[in-house]
Amino acid sequence: MSGSSSRLLGRLDAWLDERIGHREILKHALDEPVIGGARWAYVFGSALTAVFLIQVVTGLLLMTVYAPSATTAWASVHYVQYTLSAGWIIRGLHHFGSQAMVVLLGAHIFQVAVFGAYRKPREMNWYLGLALMALTLGFSLTGYLLPWDQKGYWATRVATNIAGTSPVIGGWLQQLMQGGPEYGNLTLTRFYALHVGLLPLTLFALLGAHVALFRKHGVTPSHRADLTKVDRFFPRQLGMDLVAAMAVLCVTFLLALREHGAPLDAPADPASDYPARPEWYFLPLFQLLKYFHGPMEIVGTMGIPAIAAGYLVLLPLLDKAKTTALRDRTKYLAPLFAGFAGVIVLLVLAKNDDAHDVAFQRGRAVADLRAATANALAMNGVPAEGPLPMLAHDPELRGHALFAKSCAGCHVLGDLGDPKKSSAPVLDGWGTEAWVASMMDDPDADDRFARTPFKGSMPSMLRPPADRKPDDPPFKPMVDADVKAVAVFLASQSDGASPPVSGPPEKAQRGPMRDPAQLKQGEAIVTTRCTTCHLWKGEGDDSGQDDAPELSQWGTGAWASAQIANPSTKATYREEALDPKLKRHMPRFDEDLAAADIELLGRWVSAHAHGRTLH
Amino acid sequence: MSDGETGRRGALKHLIVVGSAAIGCAVAAPAAVFIAAPVKSGGGDRAARWVKTIRFETLREGEPRKVAIVDDEQDAWTLSRGVELGSVWLVRRGEQVVAFSAVCPHLGCAVNALADGSFGCPCHTSTFDAAGKKTGGPTPRDMDPMATKIDAGFVAVDFRKFRIGTNDREAIG
Repeated sequence: MSGSSSRLLGRLDAWLDERIGHREILKHALDEPVIGGARWAYVFGSALTAVFLIQVVTGLLLMTVYAPSATTAWASVHYVQYTLSAGWIIRGLHHFGSQAMVVLLGAHIFQVAVFGAYRKPREMNWYLGLALMALTLGFSLTGYLLPWDQKGYWATRVATNIAGTSPVIGGWLQQLMQGGPEYGNLTLTRFYALHVGLLPLTLFALLGAHVALFRKHGVTPSHRADLTKVDRFFPRQLGMDLVAAMAVLCVTFLLALREHGAPLDAPADPASDYPARPEWYFLPLFQLLKYFHGPMEIVGTMGIPAIAAGYLVLLPLLDKAKTTALRDRTKYLAPLFAGFAGVIVLLVLAKNDDAHDVAFQRGRAVADLRAATANALAMNGVPAEGPLPMLAHDPELRGHALFAKSCAGCHVLGDLGDPKKSSAPVLDGWGTEAWVASMMDDPDADDRFARTPFKGSMPSMLRPPADRKPDDPPFKPMVDADVKAVAVFLASQSDGASPPVSGPPEKAQRGPMRDPAQLKQGEAIVTTRCTTCHLWKGEGDDSGQDDAPELSQWGTGAWASAQIANPSTKATYREEALDPKLKRHMPRFDEDLAAADIELLGRWVSAHAHGRTLH
Repeated sequence: MSDGETGRRGALKHLIVVGSAAIGCAVAAPAAVFIAAPVKSGGGDRAARWVKTIRFETLREGEPRKVAIVDDEQDAWTLSRGVELGSVWLVRRGEQVVAFSAVCPHLGCAVNALADGSFGCPCHTSTFDAAGKKTGGPTPRDMDPMATKIDAGFVAVDFRKFRIGTNDREAIG
């Protein structure tokens, strides 16, 4: 800065000071004595204040986009996260800033307790601190719901349901929080009003009082500190505070960078199965719920938290030790240390349980697929009716859900169905050359007909039959070239079939290049030799006596749909497919599923059997 | 206080100023980008957006007709299909059709057609002749024309919106 401009600034400063007197206020603020000297241990309170101010700034920015209603909340958060410039940074800072506050809050309480700063005459400031902690957790709880995604929705429902189990006023309290008996628009607007209105105003007021009281009493130096050493707040302590704030901000930025903002789950769906988990810092409470059942549940939901809160309230009144030396106060602080240890143990247990819970992992995988699909679909805009209709129309998700519900009990396809319990062919690769070749080799293989009523119905083309009698004509295996030709020809039946319902034409699946000579050879074999048992375009040598299925269109979505609707037609497995003598045969679904769902399911099965999706 | 200590204090003070500024900028920079993100510059050079309106033969020579423009609209995150985006005045000239924005270029009221085939704004009394030229009132420019074409018997309009209140015409959005 040049001399003249600094002189000008100095004159402006003097001019302003004459009128508003800011120099004295600043001097008072900065010259605050720090008895015993500046310490790194004192940085947590000011770091909390700094992060809170960042939360205010990022929160106000998010308010310029966020639209609190059940149909718009998720879409507007998606818009912040994926479309708006710098949106992900702002959202990421806000998301991880809230977690930083919880961590800093724990550190702050720990420091205050260890240094004995709750003791006379600072009891009231300890209570203000407890109130600020409650407000911070209130911010976390209300903010978690606002994206109206699966994660926030289900976790918050658990919280309000717990409130609903309170004695006497429970039902009333829950409805007051939710804005009625059900979750909906009013739940969001209420939580929003709390999050951006009531809670910040209260926090500002209490934080002001907290800082004022702190200034009145000053720091609580360690009992070993040299009390003759006195620093001023500026610059040593402020320098330390600033370094701490910068470190926290750096970590927050890094986390936001790593997550590219903050996670956004699929839009809240009240009708879905969702493996609900709260945010990590509420996991200890969540874990606690597993240990208390039935009438004892309230011990975990309210009893233990109430005891913890009661202890924190009583701590300053109990502690009558002569000094702040830790060894004199061990008995008063033991519950605090035990509580901290318990929280960490419960957190680890909760994480560990989930890591070893196969059902949870599977539920999480389904939820992640749904989240990824929803986030991808919403890039093209969300309909005014909200994100749920958008998802309901997605063929990939719908197909997945239909298969899980109606098919995975017997069949295996991809991650669906249980290979140990399946009683029908594994469908991965169905309709491909490899599948045909394996059927011609060993139709009763474990992942083919072995567990089905069709076991033993189809002869192998390569191995002699097991019940071969000595006077039977000699077995002649089919030559490799013929097997290959049949496989190529049958696999070609589904070439170019089941194109995607949407998306650019270049994404439409075309079959691989097939050798025309091989196709011709395969067609000749299929239409003459396979038709001994099978149908080809409705015709066969056995005039409808046998149960071998139709081979034309085999492997296509249309064939699969026809089979799903009713296996007992000439289009697929023919009249005998539903014969009671075929134990555990495939049922018809045209009475259970809508025609459109059957059509979609067939296409989905064909696409996934071929290792494709409908997107 | 020793010279060394004074020097350290001075350095610390400078570090505090720099550190505070760094924190401020780290938050203020993305905040500025975020808050200005919806601001778009220019829109006149975007590709044509042809919207089908009414059958050509329903238009009578020299008789202005107001038609609604119905198309898909993306409003931030909401994608609406088949909604009214605005209106245009269509006037037949032989085998051609001219289209004018129904929004007055003065301050954005809806322009009416008058009995003689000319146009007038009911808010601030701007008037335009049948060809959209300003003939009176406070409007800074003529009515805003849009390109038209006849597509399979229907009049299609390249629908645009224009900045209000300026002397020069500037398409927006």
